[in-house]
Amino acid sequence: MPRILGVDIPNNKKLAYSLRYIFGIGPKRADIILEQTGLDPDMRAKELDEEQINVIMSKISELNYLVEGDLRRDYAANMKRLQAINCYRGLRHRRGLPVRGQRTKTNARTRKGKTASVGGLRK
Amino acid sequence: MARSAKKGYFIDPSLEDKVMVAKGNDDRKPIQTWSRRSTITPDFVGLNFAVHNGKTFIPVYVTENMVGHKLGEFSQSRMFKAHGGSK
Repeated sequence: MPRILGVDIPNNKKLAYSLRYIFGIGPKRADIILEQTGLDPDMRAKELDEEQINVIMSKISELNYLVEGDLRRDYAANMKRLQAINCYRGLRHRRGLPVRGQRTKTNARTRKGKTASVGGLRK
Repeated sequence: MARSAKKGYFIDPSLEDKVMVAKGNDDRKPIQTWSRRSTITPDFVGLNFAVHNGKTFIPVYVTENMVGHKLGEFSQSRMFKAHGGSK
């Protein structure tokens, strides 16, 4: 399987879809990359040769797309800033609760993790 | 939705006056304010504020990183309550 940007190994899907496996590249950016490089969106990722992979990689850096590690570092830095200045959003990140004002009486399980029962485990 | 850029930042006029005065002299006394809705501008950096949270004034020292946030973000108006935890 082809490797783009070091670790990413998109699979046997069409290019327009397999590029989305790169963190930081979604439908829109995948389309832009394919359009500007002139590669066939219907081509399977495994059919890519060395040269075409290089074309994609240079296109990504040319368009200044933050991807993978760089993007993750960006996220972490933003979060760290919010926590360092002690603002409301930073506190919510620290507590692992929703940051953008969602309700927490019910739901919010994505942030809070699996339900923990209160006093219900006895018997 | 975000505020329209053409209006610029919102700052309570009364608070703006106080900030200008505080910048003029070297008094490090915190500026008491109820104006949680005011945006922190670069002018605020290095000043001490006492931001009302509905009950008391919470001391806030403004640093460069805080520019663009509102004063109220640094003065919690709700207490965090949790069940259980370590005894």
